[in-house]
Amino acid sequence: MGTNGLAYGLAAMMACATWAQQTGSQATVQATGEDLLRHAIQLHQAGDTEGAIREYRAYLKQAPRNVMARSNLGAALARSGHYEEAIVEYKQALEQDPGNLPVRVNLALAYYKTAELASAAEHLAAVVRQQPSNRQAVFLLADCDLRLGENKKVIELLSPLEKESPNDKALIYLLGTALIRDEQPARGQVLVDRILRDGDSAEARLLLGTTKMNAREFAEALVDLKKAAELNPQLPDVFSYYGLALMTTGDTPGAADAFHKELESNPNDFVANLQLGVLLKQDQRYDEARVSYERALRVRPGDPAVRYQLATLDLAVGDLAKACGQLERLTKEVPAFVEAHVSLATIYYRLKRKQDGDRERALVLKLNAAKQAEEPGAKAPGATAPGAKVPPAKVPPAKPPEGKVPEAKDR
Amino acid sequence: MKAGRVNRRQFLAAGAAGLGWPRHGAAAGRPVFEEIPPETSGIRWVHDNAASAAHYLPETMGPGCAFLDYDNDGWVDIYLVNSGPCDFYQPKTPIRNALYKNNRDGTFTDVTEAAGVAGGSFGMGVAAADYDNDGFPDLFVTAYGRPILYHNNGNGTFTDVSEKAGLGAKVFAGHWTTSAVWFDFDNDGRLDLFVCSFVDYGTDSHFSCGDNKLGRKFYCIPRVFKPTASLLFHNNGDGTFTEASRGTDIEKALGKGLGVVATDINNDGRMDLFVANDTVQNFLFVNRGPDAKGRTKWEEMALAAEVGFSEDGRARSGMGVDAADFDGDGWQDLFVANVDQEMFSLYKNNKNESFRDVAFKNQVSQATRLLSGWGLRFFDYDNDGAIDLFLANGHPDDMIDNYSQAVKYKEPLLLFHQENGQLRHVSGESGPVFAKTFPARGLAIGDFNNDGRIDVLVGNNGGAPVLLRNMSGNNLGNPGGAGNHWLGVKLQGIKCNRDAVGARLTWSAGGVKRARLKNNGGSYLSSHDMREVLGIGTAAKVDWLEIQWPQPSGRTERFTDLPADRYITITEGKGGFQ
Repeated sequence: MGTNGLAYGLAAMMACATWAQQTGSQATVQATGEDLLRHAIQLHQAGDTEGAIREYRAYLKQAPRNVMARSNLGAALARSGHYEEAIVEYKQALEQDPGNLPVRVNLALAYYKTAELASAAEHLAAVVRQQPSNRQAVFLLADCDLRLGENKKVIELLSPLEKESPNDKALIYLLGTALIRDEQPARGQVLVDRILRDGDSAEARLLLGTTKMNAREFAEALVDLKKAAELNPQLPDVFSYYGLALMTTGDTPGAADAFHKELESNPNDFVANLQLGVLLKQDQRYDEARVSYERALRVRPGDPAVRYQLATLDLAVGDLAKACGQLERLTKEVPAFVEAHVSLATIYYRLKRKQDGDRERALVLKLNAAKQAEEPGAKAPGATAPGAKVPPAKVPPAKPPEGKVPEAKDR
Repeated sequence: MKAGRVNRRQFLAAGAAGLGWPRHGAAAGRPVFEEIPPETSGIRWVHDNAASAAHYLPETMGPGCAFLDYDNDGWVDIYLVNSGPCDFYQPKTPIRNALYKNNRDGTFTDVTEAAGVAGGSFGMGVAAADYDNDGFPDLFVTAYGRPILYHNNGNGTFTDVSEKAGLGAKVFAGHWTTSAVWFDFDNDGRLDLFVCSFVDYGTDSHFSCGDNKLGRKFYCIPRVFKPTASLLFHNNGDGTFTEASRGTDIEKALGKGLGVVATDINNDGRMDLFVANDTVQNFLFVNRGPDAKGRTKWEEMALAAEVGFSEDGRARSGMGVDAADFDGDGWQDLFVANVDQEMFSLYKNNKNESFRDVAFKNQVSQATRLLSGWGLRFFDYDNDGAIDLFLANGHPDDMIDNYSQAVKYKEPLLLFHQENGQLRHVSGESGPVFAKTFPARGLAIGDFNNDGRIDVLVGNNGGAPVLLRNMSGNNLGNPGGAGNHWLGVKLQGIKCNRDAVGARLTWSAGGVKRARLKNNGGSYLSSHDMREVLGIGTAAKVDWLEIQWPQPSGRTERFTDLPADRYITITEGKGGFQ
């Protein structure tokens, strides 16, 4: 399939980010201003981004409402890696010209690059609404949603396209991944089979491994994921999932190594950052764990699982006030988050706020009782359910659910 | 069955010189603990785990074991618990529990039939103590099915008095009992009984877990089953018991109890209970003493004490527990073993009814990350005066090897030695037995050869038990041990309970003062030698020993210039020792 070719059109989209050739007429500016702009574009086209930035800025002092110049400045800033500044420029350009889809795409790309995937997805969705046939925007949006754990959105977005393009491997891969992560193995398997028809590939192995992880066939999943990593170490997510499989099967040093490898090529990978944080915290390497969690939170702002982990870090280092505030907000937003209630109760008791602690403890008991009531053996005591599909081991799910960190494996 | 006897002199000589013991493995010198093979010990009993394709959960949970001196001859004997007939298992050949009498020469003789303690239900664990204060230890055998209270008749035989004592089948209906502990919660001088109740496993048929595609069954995660309340029985003093948990936090706290230790976490003179639960939070039942009506008030406060959940707020798979003042600060610390990747916890007492997990600092987390722990015990194996730690491990899922690279069904035993106030993992330098793996469950400690070095007995699921002789005093180059002295103390209560559970021992030797609380229970499904061995390091004698007898006595007695390297018996109020 070639995920390199796939790469969700990122490189191509970044390359066409400037408007240097599309100089639309703007408000009258002084001749010196026009010279500045012309010079800026020349520098930009010649690859002198720093010079172009300087000239664009000088020009925009004279013509601050020039959308093209501001967008070009954004593009130059993005090219030189100053994504945060690029975002500021793109946003200002869009304020002047809200219907400008190329600028919106560029803004989305800048967000994507800074791992602000939710913002990227928001702008890409706006583009796709107006340009449903913009496949690069569609794929990029699908990729964002996939990374955000919005598997159903990906399925909804790509399913209609599957009929039109049954052999589009990028589409099959993205859709297949979403289906498998959404625990729709039957549909996902059909797409995996299509990929497998073209022979062994990293993408196929990754999908197979993910499917097996979801089916809790860990040893088998490990084989596929290892192979996927060997076939294409650059494949996005491959080391994340290989790391998860290693973690599940008890090889925590191997898992940490895999997460590090994922982060070398994809520093903002959510799973790798979160799981590495968990391992670092277990080893009481709190400062390093915090870095990992904060990166994960940047990818998924507001993610309750990551916020909870950060709060427990604060608790571990004795910053009770900070942990307390975080957990109070979290339990308000996700009232069924049992672990957060446990930690909040712990803090209240430490702070000698017994009444508050008791209240949280009562909630913990209530939530756990409700959870217990849903268990199959608890629903039907004395009943026989031969061969019931109850997993032999609870393991980190392929994609951590919102509000919950993957659980350690038990029997 | 009688084992091939070894001449007593030969036995002692071998013990002293270590003749013929292997020098392979990681140990630099002689092993600290050495496995005594069945052909030497005469213990040929093997646990039948009733393993089946259906994978009924009780199959993987046993067995427990005990060191007890059933005939009161000063040499600890061994009791081993087996499975047995139940609703899902009918053994093709009769199977039974086993009582092995200590022949005082390193061998044991099976006296089960004569003693009348063969069991009869699907046994789990055992708690031994003298509940009727007649000087002979009795047995409470827990089970999936009917537990049994065996009263020791004092003549080498026991009688099943369960029904008569009010501990009959009806009382335990719906309870799968696991660990149990004898302790005197109301300080009336009689040992009461706490019995852990595991999951509601159903009565007529059982929920099963497995993989339809492969057609294989697995042992269910206990999470899928309903929790139950553990049970507390008050000893009425006339051979009968009355359930005392009704209306208390013990009854309200629905758990899946597997391990229990009775200790005093707040030094108020009342014994508390720490219960390890599987897949639900642990319980810490703090004894608040009698209420206005004279009923003991129990406060479950594990969450507030920070021993109920992991640091991530999760309930874990608690199995084995223990308590001891491991850091010598005068306050009882706690330990709980969990399943792999959950980490075990060593809880240091903060002296304010809360605890802090210091497992990582003590190398416990690192060593146990991939292990599942059951039987365990804090004890001073090398008599240097500092408390060490022994852990018995094994994964509950016999299929784990099929889907895990690093976690295995059979796991190693672990030994930790205390040095400079911290535990150090020393398994790798403590003998070849630590390089082996076992499906270990129960663990009991006791000095079966009366050499003052505490030995270890491990119950293996579906296999033979492992008897480990402690060689620490004989070794060269092993962690601690060489040349250390000791004093063995058997306490006999008169006004307080006969086993003196709850007594506080404080002693000084070589200018070092130490103290110990005589807890009871701990480990998993198992029961320990009731004697206390006080390690005194290189001191030649104990300068003084103070016994604070538990209530209702409360008396404190002080003894001076006690000889080293021997066992003594101290009887409450007699003013001397034998």
